[in-house]
Amino acid sequence: MNFFNPKNLKELHSIADKIDGKYYYLAGGTDINVQIKHEMIGKDDNIIYINELSELKGIIEEEDEIILGSLTTFTQLLKSELMQKYFPILAENLQNFASPLLQTTATIGGNIANGSPTADIIPLLLVLDAKLILSGANGERTVMLNGFYTGYKKNFLAKGEIIKSIVINKNALNGANTFYKKVGARKTLTIAKVSLAAIWEMENSKIKRICLAAGSLNEYARRLPLVEQYLLNKKKTEVDLKKLEEILKQEVTPISDLRSDREYRFQVCLNLIKEIIEI
Amino acid sequence: MEIKFKLNRKDVVIDVDPMKRLLDVLREDFHLMGSKEGCGEGECGACTVLLDNKPITSCTANAIHANGKEILTAEGISEEPEGKLLIKCFDEANAVQCGFCFPGFLVSSYSYLQNDGEKNLDKIKTALSGNICRCTGYQKIFEGVMMACDEKENGE
Repeated sequence: MNFFNPKNLKELHSIADKIDGKYYYLAGGTDINVQIKHEMIGKDDNIIYINELSELKGIIEEEDEIILGSLTTFTQLLKSELMQKYFPILAENLQNFASPLLQTTATIGGNIANGSPTADIIPLLLVLDAKLILSGANGERTVMLNGFYTGYKKNFLAKGEIIKSIVINKNALNGANTFYKKVGARKTLTIAKVSLAAIWEMENSKIKRICLAAGSLNEYARRLPLVEQYLLNKKKTEVDLKKLEEILKQEVTPISDLRSDREYRFQVCLNLIKEIIEI
Repeated sequence: MEIKFKLNRKDVVIDVDPMKRLLDVLREDFHLMGSKEGCGEGECGACTVLLDNKPITSCTANAIHANGKEILTAEGISEEPEGKLLIKCFDEANAVQCGFCFPGFLVSSYSYLQNDGEKNLDKIKTALSGNICRCTGYQKIFEGVMMACDEKENGE
């Protein structure tokens, strides 16, 4: 493996731009080292170490937004008063992600960039309408996390680009109801069989706003726009379960693997949505 | 690449592949055999060490991650007052069975005692949730940590 140790983002972009083969950014190492062990990263591949880049660190409070540096670790998120104040749904569930040992070094940027379908934090960030600031040789651009993935572990980062920070609007919740459940074989150190995050608001007994996102049910964690659309402006009593099931079948394509089979995953996802709308 | 760090309170320098796993650096280059390799994927905690006073799995870290930092292994912790207290309490609680996972449990328990230390079973379970004991003797391990919290609090 070729190893690069850039001192700042400018150096990083020029290194990544010149690399011919595959390259990987190394932050906390909790995913990369497992991939090296399983020879998913080869001897000719390139590693760019980013874990000490100050431009990617810090949790900043702006007037309307909270900006999380991509190197923010899960331990830092867990301890952040800003998270508890503005995004309690995120703060309350962080404890069950991986384990305290992995939380020390695992980063929010790494969880997003690795893009596992089971990545714990992504469904929550999706319902919070998180944005990503991407840094490249030609400057920065802002994209929605919803739409960032193009396939299994594929995203639209251009060559030499890196996730610089994650931006969440302080009013993303705005007093809305929240729901998050990660279904795994045990409480901690577990990989989700199914996870579902939701934010919704009611007005005159109707669902006025609803955001739903599911993990482990598609090739990447994603929002469920068809289900959202179906539920919007309906009273909970107006929801037709058969119809809901039909729509959900169009939106999730669970696989069978060693953790559970597709039928189980589909049923649990449906049950979780039923739990949200109290049917 | 030259990697400088503090290892068990002493300054060390080593010329090593920056991608060599921290676990292998500790075992092969410094002959510190306390940290064990169980799963090699960050899931079992047998390789737990402290990096700047926070517990990590050293099998998912690389030599470069230690550069300029402070590493404390189970060996180093066994020389610290609270490490000694924990070892005594684990002994009294008969917490150790086969022993393979134990250096990792010692490191996580030490970290809990240092950073929180409240005699609270739920908190202790969370703090130790990254360490797996396949002899499954968790209750006695928790008892040992509870005992150490008690003794630290009451200055015994």
